[in-house]
Amino acid sequence: MTKKQKKNLKRIILSAAILGILLALMEIPAIRDRLPFPENAIANRIVMTLLFLIPYLIVGYDIVTGAFKKIGKGQIFDEEFLMMIATAGAFAIGEYSEATAVMLFYQVGELFQSIAVGKSRKSISDLMDICPESAIVLRPSESDPDKIEEIEVDPSEVEIGETVLVKPGEKIPIDGEIIEGTTSLNTAALTGESLPVDRTVGDRCFSGSINLTSAIKIRTMAAYEDSTVSKILELVENSTDKKAHVEGFITRFSRVYTPIVVLSAVLITLFCALFTNLGLAKSLYRGLVILFVSCPCALVVSVPLSFFGGIGAASRQGILVKGSNYLEALAHVDTLVLDKTGTLTEGRFAVDAVHPNEIDESVLIDIAALAESRSNHPVAESIVKAHGGHIDSSRLGEVEEIAGKGIRAIIDGQTYFVGNGALMEEIRADHHDCHLPGTIVHVARCNAQNSGVCNSVTDVISDAAANDSYDAAAPTAALTGAANVIEYLGHIVINDVLKSGSKDALTGMRSSGVRKVVMLTGDNEKVAEKVAKETGVDSYYAGLLPAQKVEKLEALLKAQGASGKVAFAGDGINDAPVLTRADIGIAMGALGSDAAIEAADIVLMNDDLRKIPVAIRLARKTLRIVKENITVSLAVKIGIMVLGALGLAGMKLAVFGDVGVLILAILNALRVNRVKS
Amino acid sequence: MKKSFKLEELDCANCAAKMEAAIAKIPGVKKVNINFMAQKMILEAEDDAFEEVLALAQKKVKEVEPDCVILI
Repeated sequence: MTKKQKKNLKRIILSAAILGILLALMEIPAIRDRLPFPENAIANRIVMTLLFLIPYLIVGYDIVTGAFKKIGKGQIFDEEFLMMIATAGAFAIGEYSEATAVMLFYQVGELFQSIAVGKSRKSISDLMDICPESAIVLRPSESDPDKIEEIEVDPSEVEIGETVLVKPGEKIPIDGEIIEGTTSLNTAALTGESLPVDRTVGDRCFSGSINLTSAIKIRTMAAYEDSTVSKILELVENSTDKKAHVEGFITRFSRVYTPIVVLSAVLITLFCALFTNLGLAKSLYRGLVILFVSCPCALVVSVPLSFFGGIGAASRQGILVKGSNYLEALAHVDTLVLDKTGTLTEGRFAVDAVHPNEIDESVLIDIAALAESRSNHPVAESIVKAHGGHIDSSRLGEVEEIAGKGIRAIIDGQTYFVGNGALMEEIRADHHDCHLPGTIVHVARCNAQNSGVCNSVTDVISDAAANDSYDAAAPTAALTGAANVIEYLGHIVINDVLKSGSKDALTGMRSSGVRKVVMLTGDNEKVAEKVAKETGVDSYYAGLLPAQKVEKLEALLKAQGASGKVAFAGDGINDAPVLTRADIGIAMGALGSDAAIEAADIVLMNDDLRKIPVAIRLARKTLRIVKENITVSLAVKIGIMVLGALGLAGMKLAVFGDVGVLILAILNALRVNRVKS
Repeated sequence: MKKSFKLEELDCANCAAKMEAAIAKIPGVKKVNINFMAQKMILEAEDDAFEEVLALAQKKVKEVEPDCVILI
């Protein structure tokens, strides 16, 4: 609680105590009958008023002064003024305790609102705690430029390219690449993942992570303001700028609603005063009751509070939502479109199957791995990884890369050809494609006695051509006789690895209400079909060029119409146009991909598709709470207004209608923070 | 010119909405957005009139909530 809040709380308690004492005293007959000037009613009233003014002013002096200040500035129909008039009216008609109680109750509500808003704000500023206050930068000392010093500076003073030392237990202050040390990091603040991740030299790490085990040196890659933590904070802070439709509706509604209510109050007062025998005071009282309970505060506060809570809860899960409107749209998502590579799959390759012709599987892998060991093509890397063991490069002789086709390598003195179908066709190897989908790497050996034949692909072909046994009409037919030099050894099937959570994510999405899941990919039909089957998407479109992906999305948007929203999830690198076009753009690979953060509406900090159902559920809950608040607030208020018009509701009920509903709405809004994944 | 300011003692959401509406009417103001939850105001106004617009905005703010101040 702030100082001001604590002071208000003390005032409330003191005032309530005094009020309690006064009420108790009034109950005692001895005191009640012994009031000074018993016959003089007016003096009696003055005394009572003065007595009850004590607790009233203790708890409400700022309301009274505030009301006067505002009248001076022309703001008349404000809460303070209404309170003052209403309670003054109550004093005037002899309802001393009611006046004081009403003021008391009102202040309790205001205090509560202040605390609730403060709490919500604090949850965001707790996010600020992931902001490191200082950084240890390694710079040459001013006195001796050859000596490197550890200087503690403000993180914003560290330049790009400088080296920063992060000791165990400290927060990483700026995005950078590790140049020395191996450690594990807690990235919970960024991704919501509590499992530590291992990082070593060459790995990128991000500001806001906590270094756990050993000290590391980082070469900074961004300025402090552009580092991940600052970006996240800015996103969350600015998120409530993009108002949800519901918020806009409430604002428009209030503008229409308030004049209507004021008018009704005036009309009721006039009606009662003129056409009934209630008298002016009581008629005015009724009008005031209506005016007071009508205040739209509960609506205007609870709606942004709920969305703010929703966005905060999401960011704690590693889901960054860039605007309340996106959270609202997510609650209505009907169709989810997914990119394949990098989204459903990891975007890197691994060996799926090894199909040797006659030799052993391990031998095939051995040869292929040796041949590919000098290439850094992802396919080559996956084969080397599948080999797993030590690559004995002493066995490897000359290696020739044949662009677009593969590799010719001399292993253990023999010439091997490792590559795609086109390469096999060229060297007339009797290869066959695999029934399995994926990238196929074929392996063939040149068995020519004359090693000169195998020096190049062209040599092989010309040698075969020189021998009549080569049939030009049937280029893939096996070469016969002495010229049968190329022996097909088998092939290896390589595929993009499915992300471990993809299948679960799909199930999760359906259970959270997504009706249709569509996959878009630029990859070929066969591979797409395989991934589609494995993950369980409803439909897929393969072989798409980037422009065609946008077209497909447009078609889906059109088909969806107004019945729901279409979300697109991609890894951002080349998906920017699709991300922007979708109702909700969700980006993966956010860590490090600026383009994704820019284009997307929602960013999944840890690339985990399983967070999408979490986000959807959170969005639905937030919206549900918002609707609950609106319905209950309006229902209670209108009910009390009607009762007030009929004279069945007094100021106490009016204050409950305003303050009580406000408290309920705020409590309900805070429920958003309690979402489990 | 577009600048972001922190608002102190902004306690009432209704007031934030009223302030925003009032400041939007100040001549020279292109856009104003008051974020109640973050206690922040983003003001976009013509460069040469910015100082006066800001002073007027402060006045409007005080009219709605006397305790509220724009931190410059």
